[in-house]
Amino acid sequence: MSLFSALSVSASGMAAQRTRAALLVENIANSETTRTPEGGPYRRKDVIFSSDAVGSAFASELDSQLDSQQLTGVRVAGISVDRSAPEKRYLPGHPDADASGYVSIPKVNPAEDMVDLMGANRSYQANVSAMSAVKDMIQKSIDLLR
Amino acid sequence: MINSITDSLEQYMNVVSLRQKLVASNIANADTPGYKTQDLDFQSSFLAALDGSSPHSAEVSGLATKNDGNNVDLDREARLLAENAMRFNAASNLMRSQLNTIKEAIQGGKS
Repeated sequence: MSLFSALSVSASGMAAQRTRAALLVENIANSETTRTPEGGPYRRKDVIFSSDAVGSAFASELDSQLDSQQLTGVRVAGISVDRSAPEKRYLPGHPDADASGYVSIPKVNPAEDMVDLMGANRSYQANVSAMSAVKDMIQKSIDLLR
Repeated sequence: MINSITDSLEQYMNVVSLRQKLVASNIANADTPGYKTQDLDFQSSFLAALDGSSPHSAEVSGLATKNDGNNVDLDREARLLAENAMRFNAASNLMRSQLNTIKEAIQGGKS
């Protein structure tokens, strides 16, 4: 039973939350973007999390020999893109306005993304706390050798 | 390995670290849709570990499930995280005092 696998679990959680935060920041930055390489306005992106067995090749091989417990970390299973119709705003002078003067604006609610960003931040901190608690336990075990 | 106390302490630390791993896993999956909180019953797991069988984790009942099917309660996990760290700390201090006793006997009272 190695505590080191718990470190990989917390690391997977931190990586997942970091990806989520990156996408939320991208959404906020592009909340007024009307041009994208794919054409049309920016479309809101979000992560899809799924739980997943963790461990490096060495760790999983060793664990399968020593350990019956399989730990579940988290991974980003995919990125969902909002395909619903964008908002229309009446801006006749805008270069991207259509014939009737409406511009397609991304359907991004900055308030919603800010709240989600706080959630991602808190979850990241929770993973950091878990990692430091496990690290202290490993250190305590090592100190027994002194 | 040395005496019955160190054997018991070893099993105790094993169960605490297994529980800590489950807590870390629950925290990592706090935002995963459909994930259910995993935990083990401490007393029965410890007694099972003393008998030589491996403890088993199970889903926790009685937690509020969110709309996405996830029932991780971060406050509960934070409590368990601290509790396990303190339990492990106490056990490792006891283990160290046991080992120091043996060391003293080996050195014949000389420090």
